[in-house]
Amino acid sequence: MNSTYVAALELAAGAVLVSAVMTLWRRSVRSIVSMLSLQGMALSAVAIVLALHEHERALFVTGCLVFVVKGLVVPGLLRRVSRLDPRSRESRPLVNVPASLVFAAVLIVLSYVVSSRITSMSPSEASHLVPIGVATVLVGYFMLVTRRRAVSKIVGLILVDNGIALVTFLLTSGVPLIVELGSSLDVLLVVVVLQFLMVSMRRHSDTDQLTEMKALRD
Amino acid sequence: MLILWVLFVPLATTILAASVSWRPWIGWATSASSAAVLGLGIALSVATMTTPELALHGSLRADSLSAFMVVVIGTVSILATLFTPRTMRQEMESGITTSRYARHYVVLMQVFITCMLLAVLTANLGVLWVSIEATTIATTFLVSHRRTDGAFEASWKYVILCSVGIALAFLGTVLIYYAELHTGAGVHSSSLDWTSVMSVAHHLNPNVTRLAFALLVVGYGTKVGLVPMHSWLADAHSQAPAPVSALMSGVLLTVAFYGLLRFRAVAAAALGPTYPRTLLLVVGLASLLLATVMLIAQRDLKRMLAYSSIEHMGLLAIGAAVGTPLAIAAVLLHILGHGITKAVLFLSSGEIYHLEGTTEIAKISGLLARRPVLGGIFGFGLLSLVAFPPFSLFVSELSMARAEVDAGLWWVVAISLACLGVIFAALARHARHMLMGATSSETTVALTTARSVAVPLVTGLVVCVALGVVSWPLQSLLTHAAHGVMS
Amino acid sequence: MSATITTSLYGVAATLIQIVAVGLGGPLLVGLMAKVKARAEGRVGAPIVQPLRDLRKLLSKERLHARHSSVVLPLAPMIILAATAVAVAISPLVSTHPFLGSSADILVVVYLLLTGTVAAALAGLDAGTAFGGMGSSRVMTIGALAEPALLVAVIALSIQSGTSNLPSMMSSTIAHPDWVFGPSRLLALGALLIVVIAETGRIPVDNPATHLELTMVHEAMILEYAGPELALFSLGEAMRLGLLFSLVANLFFPWGIATSDSVLALAVGVILLMAKAALVALGVALIEVRSAKLRLFRLPELLAGGFVLSVLAVVTGLVTK
Repeated sequence: MNSTYVAALELAAGAVLVSAVMTLWRRSVRSIVSMLSLQGMALSAVAIVLALHEHERALFVTGCLVFVVKGLVVPGLLRRVSRLDPRSRESRPLVNVPASLVFAAVLIVLSYVVSSRITSMSPSEASHLVPIGVATVLVGYFMLVTRRRAVSKIVGLILVDNGIALVTFLLTSGVPLIVELGSSLDVLLVVVVLQFLMVSMRRHSDTDQLTEMKALRD
Repeated sequence: MLILWVLFVPLATTILAASVSWRPWIGWATSASSAAVLGLGIALSVATMTTPELALHGSLRADSLSAFMVVVIGTVSILATLFTPRTMRQEMESGITTSRYARHYVVLMQVFITCMLLAVLTANLGVLWVSIEATTIATTFLVSHRRTDGAFEASWKYVILCSVGIALAFLGTVLIYYAELHTGAGVHSSSLDWTSVMSVAHHLNPNVTRLAFALLVVGYGTKVGLVPMHSWLADAHSQAPAPVSALMSGVLLTVAFYGLLRFRAVAAAALGPTYPRTLLLVVGLASLLLATVMLIAQRDLKRMLAYSSIEHMGLLAIGAAVGTPLAIAAVLLHILGHGITKAVLFLSSGEIYHLEGTTEIAKISGLLARRPVLGGIFGFGLLSLVAFPPFSLFVSELSMARAEVDAGLWWVVAISLACLGVIFAALARHARHMLMGATSSETTVALTTARSVAVPLVTGLVVCVALGVVSWPLQSLLTHAAHGVMS
Repeated sequence: MSATITTSLYGVAATLIQIVAVGLGGPLLVGLMAKVKARAEGRVGAPIVQPLRDLRKLLSKERLHARHSSVVLPLAPMIILAATAVAVAISPLVSTHPFLGSSADILVVVYLLLTGTVAAALAGLDAGTAFGGMGSSRVMTIGALAEPALLVAVIALSIQSGTSNLPSMMSSTIAHPDWVFGPSRLLALGALLIVVIAETGRIPVDNPATHLELTMVHEAMILEYAGPELALFSLGEAMRLGLLFSLVANLFFPWGIATSDSVLALAVGVILLMAKAALVALGVALIEVRSAKLRLFRLPELLAGGFVLSVLAVVTGLVTK
């Protein structure tokens, strides 16, 4: 029982990180969004595995919620946005893909070093995996900084959020349900808002290239 | 019960505004609702003087600090909502807005105000985060309300940067919760309630708390407009309609700062005063310096006001860094004074924009001669902003300086004073041009300013003066509130 | 005393079987992949034994050398074949303890194979033609890019078993079946697959069937070869492919390999090895069918991806240990 639990947990957490790296690796927006969907599902798997092991009903509910929101709804929204504009099919990174992958590797090692200080407080099978969540957060930030496309920025934001959610599950078996509900809803709303903005921007001035956003400067 | 009313009133107004199409009286109704919030806030303050903590089902609670924040939100939102009918009429006349968007505007304003009230009244530190993040969502479309390229760009940057920043604050909150679940001393609690967190704060693991507080400072600092994640602020404030800028600059920033004040108390209890002080001093001084540099060469009126907000947030962070009761009380007074002053300035800059068609400092000239009342209000507002006596910002800045000296932070006082001096000179230069610069001959006739503009703004300035001259009604509330966030 | 002799006798036997099996099996795997690809594309394709027939035919031909070539040209195929054969001999493919198995450190095997690559690159340069030099430079580029990924993946694998000795790694995997589905293992497998595809010159890294001057990599390098030397060269390359496929298969699924000294165990080992290597070949062939060859300047992306996967494998290995 215990070893199955550990194996399942490790597998799901590993899938979260791999899909994070894959979003840096793949170029087409469509496959990036599918990676994101995969990540959402892996994240919900982590929550559900933990919930079953620790008999936490609230966490189970959270896991199901995460599956729906981050595995299905959010990727669905992104897919719709990317379909609107055929030009946005390929992402255009500021840092080329090999360099960003190598950088991601550095970030992953870094997160391992950083999180060992936190997790030493209460070692458990779950808290060992915290570096994976931290690495996902860092990869998300990296994506936000180095990608130009509006969709890529949203993807980066979601990566950050998923990473934080993973850390939350692993460290605390989930914060109180109300907070979890609130934060999931927030993510959903932020994505909806950003989607709206993208659509109106495109309707308004036919661009979603953030490099062209130069109206406001000091 | 009082607490529930504070939330219920704006919520009811939201529903009202959402259910009928736009009419000017809805704007007045929202002002009435803000006035009710202010009244309830005052009642709450009085109540918290005798019973230090009012709680409702454990999910809502109010101490003097929350009550004071309700007062601030109420005051500033009265000012901002009084301008709703006027702004909407102007925008509809110039074809920027349709009645559909006017309805969106009013509803979002009310949602925005309700979220801020929830943030200061919730007992749960997680819900605090959720509601502050919710203000981002509510204000996005307010920022992009004008639907220009610049407005879309500003609101895009605003959402991205604030969501990213505030995500860090969530991680920080989670880490605090984690530390709370695993305190070494055998005591632990498993809720994110402020009271239960504070009850175990002394036993939190220092390593985890240190990291958590750093994340919280950067995270909530984003929303406050502190360096390093400040860059959204000038864009958003300059593009939003004036009443929205007034609300955002006047209270939204300080509601986020309220979150920092709460967590500072937790961190100070767990780690001792030095670590939070260092961190807050670093971000506070950095923000102050950045604002100083950006104000010197500023060319846009609203951006100038936005950078001045960064300056004042820096001052608040420095005050919070000192962390003595005197300093915190001064910080709170500063929050109120800055809120009113900034609201007055943003609202009058909105009027200036409407009349002059520009917010470029170089193109605005000789306001005092052409529009004496508006120019006068703007000029006095700026005087209040640079903390001229007898305005209340003078009193609060002086008290903060005294608290800093008491804490042995001479060098901080020296740096802040130098920055404030430079800022004074910069603002005086801009103001001299805008208010007393040369005017072209055909517009020398002095124009009147509508009474609906002048009365609220003058009242706001009078309140600032009153707070500066006689702050005694607030004295005990402020000290009471300050003691609530002492460890 | 006699037990030791028996053990070493079985070890020698295992070594010989491995060399023969890989020597015949390598070309067969090449044939199999060609067949699978042909079928997937709706062609009948050449029979699976075609590469062996080609080898026989080439061996019976006359030796021909380019005019300006030196001694490197005839020597290189022998070096390649010899290095690969030694690697095959010491690796645990059929049995966990072949003769000299104790020296079968994973790094030794890797660098024996690399010796072959270097010899091939030198051979490409030797005739002094434009294509040969281009092929060599491309092969070395790919090799250099694949190297970090390979080494880090190797580290990831050895973290888990605590050793870099191939036979011990396999024995410990047999003892801990739950390792196989650990994220570290799977990530390392992904990284190794990418490296193996790069090292064996398959699509999407290189297309072994093309002679298009702009895209060919490996074929450009051996353009000057003919007759028996080409046969040796191809055999060396095929054995290398066989060895890599078998190693990947055995590292991740070692069951079936002979752990005891008996004829039966060895027989089972040979048959299962063939089956596993064929499965890997099938998988690689399917990847080839499904993907297009990458442009040369996109290759670093693929191999950097392999590198990150292997770093991930190391980190998760450390995390979950």
